Amino acid sequence: MFRHDSPNEAAFRTEVRTWLAVNLPAALRGRTNRPPPAELMPWYRALSRKGWIAPHWPKQYGGMGATLNEQIIMTEELARVGAPQLPAQGLNHIGPTLIEFGTETQKAKHLPPIIAGTVIWAQGYSEPGAGSDLASLTTRATLEGDHFVVHGQKIWTTWAHYSDWMFALVRTDPLAQPRHAGISFLLLDLHSPAITIRPIRTIAGDDEFSEVFFDNVVVPAENLVGKLNDGWRIANALLGHERLGSSNPQYALMALDRIKTVARASGVMADPAFRDRLAAASINVTAFSALFSHAVELTNLQRSPGPEASMIKISGTELLQSLNDLLIEAAGSDASIENPITTAFGTVEVSTPFLQVRRATIYGGSSEIQRNIIARRVLNLPQ
Amino acid sequence: MELHLTSEQALLRDSATKFVAAAGPKVAHGLRGRVPSFAPARLRQAGELGWLGMLVPSSVGGLGLGLAELALVLEQAGRGLVCEPIGLAIIATAALAQGHAPHPILRSAMLGDALVVPALQESAHDPVALRTQATGDRAPRLTGTKMSVCADGADGFLVSARGSDGPALYYVARDSAGVSVMAAPTVDGRTLATVELKDAPADLVPARQSSRSAVEALTDLALIALSAELLGVMEGAQELTFEYLRVRKQFGKPIGSFQALQHKAVDIYIKTETIRSLLYQVAAANDPYRIDPALAVALKAKTSEEALAVTQTCIQLHGAIGFTDEHGIGLYLKRAMLLSSLFGNAASQRRRYIELTEMTV
Repeated sequence: MFRHDSPNEAAFRTEVRTWLAVNLPAALRGRTNRPPPAELMPWYRALSRKGWIAPHWPKQYGGMGATLNEQIIMTEELARVGAPQLPAQGLNHIGPTLIEFGTETQKAKHLPPIIAGTVIWAQGYSEPGAGSDLASLTTRATLEGDHFVVHGQKIWTTWAHYSDWMFALVRTDPLAQPRHAGISFLLLDLHSPAITIRPIRTIAGDDEFSEVFFDNVVVPAENLVGKLNDGWRIANALLGHERLGSSNPQYALMALDRIKTVARASGVMADPAFRDRLAAASINVTAFSALFSHAVELTNLQRSPGPEASMIKISGTELLQSLNDLLIEAAGSDASIENPITTAFGTVEVSTPFLQVRRATIYGGSSEIQRNIIARRVLNLPQ
Repeated sequence: MELHLTSEQALLRDSATKFVAAAGPKVAHGLRGRVPSFAPARLRQAGELGWLGMLVPSSVGGLGLGLAELALVLEQAGRGLVCEPIGLAIIATAALAQGHAPHPILRSAMLGDALVVPALQESAHDPVALRTQATGDRAPRLTGTKMSVCADGADGFLVSARGSDGPALYYVARDSAGVSVMAAPTVDGRTLATVELKDAPADLVPARQSSRSAVEALTDLALIALSAELLGVMEGAQELTFEYLRVRKQFGKPIGSFQALQHKAVDIYIKTETIRSLLYQVAAANDPYRIDPALAVALKAKTSEEALAVTQTCIQLHGAIGFTDEHGIGLYLKRAMLLSSLFGNAASQRRRYIELTEMTV
């Protein structure tokens, strides 16, 4: 967007564009929901076989070890072709976290299946009583010899009902003060006995998330990541990856395309007042892309995203919501139609993405929690 | 977020920070209404540091630096509410240095002994509207009216006009026959002038080979320069405000401990960070004489809007003291009003953006 590709980058872009045009199934293009695994995972595995599933991972773990510019090219080309959202918990969350904090055994066991797309991961953070106040979580893990016994409940767990493994925050010291000093980071096999998973339907009509019950689940002690009671630090490093990864400008670029298509079809593109708002939106996407690349550039140098990840999350998710506001404005009286709208310029989802992005400013720590983090950790404002 | 700078760039920024330490709201207050409304000695000091010729190729005596360096200096100038028109002087020398034989005034303009400023605008809402006519190819003469010219202390103008080959850039000395300057005071104690040209003698300023045209190159450069200075204004206002939030007590606590104010503070911080990332990415990706016009316009649109928003919020966060003339924070809003409106405000830039990106039915 900002720079011209070098000859090598231009060649890479052409290769990506050509390959995507041939290999991305038509049914997966322009989808705003995450297609279920039966539809999505063959595409995931195709990207994996091509070697492109993890541009941001180091080569030694099966990633591309791509430069920042190559990562941006990938993002732009995936957006251009309307590629679907992939399950992120493995690629963006636990993968980079294990690369940073995992033992060699844990890396060898868990990283290759993430790259290959043979294992799906879920994130066990929130609980019914621990949302914004995550450190108050009560799911208990008791160490008994060579294993933990886990008892409790997780909720709002994306794709838990499709997942094979979960990384979870568990309480290993109920008396610890401050409370986050008694939390550990554990990997759980979701096929273990004594686990019950119930999908929850969202206002967007999908059942992307679930609640998960643990009734004395046995988890081998070697599934602990990092040290006992040192899970909070790892949890926050992972949240940094999550906040950065979930704000990728790919989704904003795709939303912008959707707005233009709907605006042309509905005729509102002829309205100068609307075009002014569209110009502002397009400029906002450009500005956010700059902010995002800047953060990724720093992350590539420091490994774990710092508190700037909170800024990216606020900015990226609120941008996405404002774009979807413009989308339903462009759709006019078609805004509330549940199914995708068919126009002379293509079929476009309108109400679904608008409803879906409500969650973006809530998951991974609400926008309000992110603002608290920045006020304290970046601006050093008093408590 | 920190910028990734080379050691030379870091040195340049440090020297700009030092230069600005002698400026600030108090100095800006003192210069209000003076003629000129800046210290000519300080402009010469910027010239001695080489800044006024920073974009000028080294083959003609400049530093031959790029847009990132321009941004580093002007960001600091904005932060310190520097009154000397350093940004306008830098982009003017860049324009004067084009062509096979640079214009004779270039040398003194690089030293700060002479001040040359752009005079491009003719409409309050369409920054690229152009009606001024140039006649006579060998000894051109210009007729037309330019507005919103920072003519304060200027010895000459870079004027856009339509010649026989389309829009071109000309140098016009202020004391030439046929040049009249009518200045109006601005809210921040400076002036903006209407410059009327009646058959005024002018010198053609040729375009550099890599530029589309000298007028477009100067316009795009102006948008970058103003945005850089606006970023500094946002930063300076923000620094004062965050400090105030830490020390001002009400209800027995620092007001910065209140969540409602913290969240407003975070919002202006994010706006400022976004502009910084955008500015430096645009700067890194473009050559001073060949700037992607859609990016320059997008940058100026976004920066103009956010600078006004941030400086307004800063006054709100200060409470009543922020509304006093004595307190410095108001000057940041006033400087933002001036810079955000020059060469086209946010709405004007968005209209150009729609044209440039062919956002059509």
